Amino acid sequence: MVEDCNIKQMQNNCYRQSKVPDEFMLQLRVPGALIDAKWLDVIQHICQTWGNGSFHLGTRQTLNAPGIKAQNIPSVNDYIEPYLKAVECDLCNVQMETRNGYPYIAPRNIMACIGSVHCINANINTQNISHKLEKEIYPNPYHIKISVSGCPNDCAKAHFQDLGIVGCTRPIYDMDRCIGCGACVRKCEKAATRVLSLNDKHKVSKDACCCVGCGECVTACPTGAWKRPNRIFYRIILGGRTGKQCPRMGKLFANWLTEDSLLGMMRNWPKFSDWVLGGKPVYIHGGHLIDRAGYQRFKEFMLDGVTLNPEAIIAESVNWAETEYRSNIHVKPLSKHQTVK
Amino acid sequence: MENTSTYHLQADELDALFAHLEEQYLVYAPVRIPSGGRYAQTDSVLYRPVHRYEDIEYRERSTYPMKEVLTPITQTLFYFTEDQYQESKPPAKDLLIFGRACDINAIRIQDQIYLLNGGVEDPFYKRVRDRAKFVLMECAQQFEGCFCCSVGANVTDMHAMAFSFGERDAQIEVSDEAFRDYFSQAKPSDYSIRFPEENELKVNYPVIDRMDMANRLKDHPMWREFDDRCIACGSCTVACSTCTCFESTDIVYTQNAHIGERRRTCSSCMVGGFDQMAGGQCFRNKTSEKYRYKILHKVYGHDARFHTGPMCVGCGRCSARCPELISYPATLNKLSRAIEEIQPEEVAHHA
Repeated sequence: MVEDCNIKQMQNNCYRQSKVPDEFMLQLRVPGALIDAKWLDVIQHICQTWGNGSFHLGTRQTLNAPGIKAQNIPSVNDYIEPYLKAVECDLCNVQMETRNGYPYIAPRNIMACIGSVHCINANINTQNISHKLEKEIYPNPYHIKISVSGCPNDCAKAHFQDLGIVGCTRPIYDMDRCIGCGACVRKCEKAATRVLSLNDKHKVSKDACCCVGCGECVTACPTGAWKRPNRIFYRIILGGRTGKQCPRMGKLFANWLTEDSLLGMMRNWPKFSDWVLGGKPVYIHGGHLIDRAGYQRFKEFMLDGVTLNPEAIIAESVNWAETEYRSNIHVKPLSKHQTVK
Repeated sequence: MENTSTYHLQADELDALFAHLEEQYLVYAPVRIPSGGRYAQTDSVLYRPVHRYEDIEYRERSTYPMKEVLTPITQTLFYFTEDQYQESKPPAKDLLIFGRACDINAIRIQDQIYLLNGGVEDPFYKRVRDRAKFVLMECAQQFEGCFCCSVGANVTDMHAMAFSFGERDAQIEVSDEAFRDYFSQAKPSDYSIRFPEENELKVNYPVIDRMDMANRLKDHPMWREFDDRCIACGSCTVACSTCTCFESTDIVYTQNAHIGERRRTCSSCMVGGFDQMAGGQCFRNKTSEKYRYKILHKVYGHDARFHTGPMCVGCGRCSARCPELISYPATLNKLSRAIEEIQPEEVAHHA
């Protein structure tokens, strides 16, 4: 007899339905994608004790244990409680009940590249900001996909998230340390947006407006003439998504945000979702909520009560460019429109 | 050392000392620059004017060398108008510069180039050098890649004072009479300043005593790997305590072509265009040729002119700054092996 399973409830608790009727796959969140290697023993034990012995690296950087029988889920939830406490409560300061596994799946695991703990190109510690973002979005019933990239190379695919965060820098130029070798000019041309040039004074001129904030000039400079400031900055790429209807790459929403500005805006996300969905959380992702509300309403919600840092700039409008798997996919009878009335 | 006295000063006394010293001296020392490093969330340590004892970063080797105090990366030599010129201002006070034994020994090599090369003294160097005195920083610990003992740069007597650094106190040995008065109220100490005696890294610095060997080394295959490995950025020479190369440029002010300034800017034999002649010809086009030139100049070229041994004080900054992780000591070892390879061939050839 097939066991009676409330698959929506189980999915909500981060157990995904499988082809085998009473087997599920646990997804352990790893916000920021870097944890103490000791937890590998925990996921290995789950896979070998209650799972089918295999282990899956989740596409959103979760640790997945496939093949868990429904009847074993309470035991698994007991077993993962220390992990939840350590990672969600201690590392991320999330306030949540940990006795019965994860309370929500809706805010997806916050993906991140390795960032400045390792990478020579990174501008930011991607784990630190991921942990702070986790506290803002988890637990709550509204779906959102976030990733954090340490630099504009965007290895964490911020361009395909509802809100993709990119760590940026605004390098400071010390003309007196510059030997006019052109290393930064060549690097910017090869790797970034070609905003640097050698001028007739044998020093470097910059088209600051088009600087992508990658910091390649700092890395390339042999003398330290280019230097990262003490502050770090964030960019938000908005509304990227995959999917079967109209996938699209995200667009630039906000640039040169300080951490306070970024977190202030992210704190408004659940309020916006709540408004769009009329207080009824359903399985629908953030980008679609922006479509339903319209960008201007989204912008108003996100900026509500936020004092932006002086450098911050925000998109006045967004021109989405979608892949329409069926042409004119958005053209349909008025009665089928889902925009918020 | 003869005629030295040592004193033990606490933090507040040290700050008073620095205030007193600043009446006559611009005091330069290594200072930590937050976020100043090549990579995010890394600092750098640069020479800066200091005003308090705690400004000095003594726990780490400075990222860039002491030479920047005497020969800044960019320096205006003079300003010119149609038919007149005016020299840039010399320093407002005498200079007191903190450095380790290697850093101070590097000044001897700087002096050779700027004061003893071809019988002409460089006035812009001389005007600061004559007013500079040095304070030895005792090396309580060694840093990654230090090999001062291998090139005899671990000991010096060019300093006026020597500091042994503590968190909130310092032992100060005074050897220059001119500084004795600063310590009339200070507590004497029997501490004795130590020089490094042995480095973890030992380098058998190669010796090339004739041009024939240098020429044969030019064609050795050992340089080839650097075409792929070295990016010719010049980080090593900018970080080098002993490199002195600069270029002179006349900068004409944008709004008036008859007014401008002559600038001296640090240059590097590793950087493209360094060896470009009038007409555009360059002599070292491949990166391996540039790198070979740099190494052979340190080992042979400088010594051939001045007969004072290595143009190197073993400070380790070149390797520490190389973004491609090219080890200068490893290259020296390869060079030593290449010399050994060539020597028996020559014996056989001559026999």
